[in-house]
Amino acid sequence: MLTPDDIAGLIDDRPEDGVFSVHRRLFTDPDVFELEMKAIFEGGWVFLGLASQLSRPNDYFTTTIGRHPIAVMRAADGTINAFINSCPHKGARICPLEQGHAKLHVCPYHSWSFDSAGKNRAIKGRVQGAYSDGFDQDSHDLNAVARFGDYKGLLFASLNADVGPLEDHLGEAKPLIDLIVDQSPDGIELVPGVVSFTYEANWKMQLENCSDQYHFSSVHPSYLRILERRTERAFEGATRNMWDVAKEHVEVPGEPTGGTYSFDQGHVMNWRMSDVPEALPLHERSAILEQRYGAAKRDWMLHSRNLTLFPNVQFAENASSQLRIIRPISVGLTEMRTYCFAPVGESGEARRKRIRQYEDFFNPSGLATPDDTVVYEACQEGNASQGSPWLQGYGRGMCASVKGPDRFADLIGLKPSSSVAADRWLSDETIFHAYYRAWRARVSAVAATQSAEAVS
Amino acid sequence: MSVERLSPQTAATLLYQEALFLDERRWDDWLDLYLPTARYWVPAWRNEAETTSDPDREISLIYYESRAGLEDRIWRLKSGLSIASNPLRRTAHAVTNVLVTDASTPGEVEVKATFNVGVFDPRRKTSHAFFGRYLYRLQSTDEGWRIASKTIVLLNDQIPAVADVYML
Repeated sequence: MLTPDDIAGLIDDRPEDGVFSVHRRLFTDPDVFELEMKAIFEGGWVFLGLASQLSRPNDYFTTTIGRHPIAVMRAADGTINAFINSCPHKGARICPLEQGHAKLHVCPYHSWSFDSAGKNRAIKGRVQGAYSDGFDQDSHDLNAVARFGDYKGLLFASLNADVGPLEDHLGEAKPLIDLIVDQSPDGIELVPGVVSFTYEANWKMQLENCSDQYHFSSVHPSYLRILERRTERAFEGATRNMWDVAKEHVEVPGEPTGGTYSFDQGHVMNWRMSDVPEALPLHERSAILEQRYGAAKRDWMLHSRNLTLFPNVQFAENASSQLRIIRPISVGLTEMRTYCFAPVGESGEARRKRIRQYEDFFNPSGLATPDDTVVYEACQEGNASQGSPWLQGYGRGMCASVKGPDRFADLIGLKPSSSVAADRWLSDETIFHAYYRAWRARVSAVAATQSAEAVS
Repeated sequence: MSVERLSPQTAATLLYQEALFLDERRWDDWLDLYLPTARYWVPAWRNEAETTSDPDREISLIYYESRAGLEDRIWRLKSGLSIASNPLRRTAHAVTNVLVTDASTPGEVEVKATFNVGVFDPRRKTSHAFFGRYLYRLQSTDEGWRIASKTIVLLNDQIPAVADVYML
C-alpha cells in the first residue's frame, strides 16, 4: 500500500530551488493507478457530457466515472441526474446504449423497472415474493451519484459526497468555459459521429500532451508540410487551417503571441493567437460576438485554446473544436472518446469547414492525432526504465511564470493562479505543474486515509 | 469513352489489384486506380446501429471529395515525417464476397465487397484486424475501369491508436 510519504516521493516540487520533476513511476505503477482512480476519478468531480446530449425528457446517455458505469438521464420533469448504470437486484447494466430514450428502463435480467428519475417502478412478482420487512424497508431505486452539477450545460458528477460545490471546483476557470458556451446564444452541441480509440499508455500522457506546445513542430511536421503543400498547389476543396508556417519568419522573438494559465484545482489552458483567423469557422460570427460581448472576449474566442478541466475532459479549439473525454482503463491503457463540438446555429458552410478541419487533424485516422498517440506509447515503453527516474519535462517557462493574471487575462477579467505569456518558441512546461499539484493533493489525502484505516 | 459491361470477375480482379497495391506499398499504382474526382469516404458511427450519412453535417473518420486528399496521405506515408507511419505497419487485405450490385448505368457499376485487413505493428509486435464492407462505384475509362468513389464501412471502429488508408 502506498503511503503519503510514497506519494510525496513521486513529485519533486521545490519552487525555491527552481526544481519541478515527476517520477516515471507515476505513469507505470499499477498501485499508483489504483490510488489515483480512487482519489481522483472516484473521489471528486469528473466531467460526464453535455446537457445538449439530452435534449428531450427521458433521453439518456451512458459514460463512466473511473471504473463505474454511469447513466445520465433527463427525467420526465426535465431535471437531469446521473446514476450508477447497474440494477440494485443483480447488478445488470440498465441502460444499454451510448445514447437512448426511454420513459421506463426495464432490467434485461429479472425485469425490475425504473423511471427516468431513477425511481424503482416495479419489482416483478413482488407480492408473491415472500420478501422480508428488511427488504421492503430498503430503497430499490437506482443509485444516484453522490453529487451532480451542471455549469452552463456541462455536466459533472462526483461519487464522493465530501466535495465542495461544482462552482468551486471549476473556480476561476469558469470564464474559459464561457468562451466556449457563449459562442452561440443556444450554447454548443456535439456534431453526430463519435470517434473512440485506445492507446497503450498512461492517461496522463493525454492530459499533458493537450497542454504541450513544445511537441507541435516535432510531432506534426507532416501535417504542417501538407498545409504548406496545399497553399503551394491549391486544389478545390483543400482544407486550410489556422497555422501559417510563413508567419514564423515575421514574428518577433520575445513578443508574446500566446501562453498558458494554471488554476488551483488542476485546470489549465494553453493558447495562442491564430495566424489565419479567417480560416476559423467561428470567424463568420465575429461581428455578432463583438457586439454582444465586446472585442476583447470576441478575440479570446478566436484564439486557439486548449482547456483541460482536471481530470478527464479537454476542449481543444485549435485545428477545429474537439471535446475529449479521457477514460483510464489500466496504468498502461487509455480510451479516448472524442467528439466535434460546435456552436448551435452556425451556418452550413461553417459547419462543413469545421468538420473537414476536424477530420483532417484529429481522429485516429487523421493527419496529426495518430502521431501524438504513437508518441505516448513510445513514452510508456521508455518509462519502463526507471534507472534515472526523474523526468526533465517540466522546466521550460520556470523563469517566465508569474503569479496571478497577465495583461491578456486582464482583458477578460480572468484570474488564474499563474500565467506565462509566451512567444511561439517558449513552449511553457510549468503548465503541467498545476496537474501534478492537484494530483498530489488529492492522492496524498486518500493515501493518508487508507494508511490510517490500516493502522486502526 | 467506351461503354462496356463489367463482368463480376473483372470487378473482383480490380478490387484484388487495389488490395495488393496497398499491401505491397505500390502507392502510386494505388492512386492511379482512382479518378482525380474520386470520392473516398470512411463514415464514423452515429450510434450502435447507424453510420453517419451526411459528411457535411456529421463526422467521418476520413472524407475526401477528390483524389487530392489521398495524394496528401500518400505524401505523408512516404515523407518519413510521421512517427505513426514510420515504420509502416504490415498489412494483408482479404477482399471477399464481391458482388456487382448495380450495372444499370452504361460505363458505370456499383460493387460491394467485404474486407478483413490484418495489421501488424512491427514496433510493438501487436496484431489487429480491421473489418467491414466496401462500396465502390467504378467507371469505365479509356485506360480501363477506375474507382469513381469508395465508401468504407468500418465495423469495428474502436481503433487502437492508428488507422490509415493503407490499413482499411
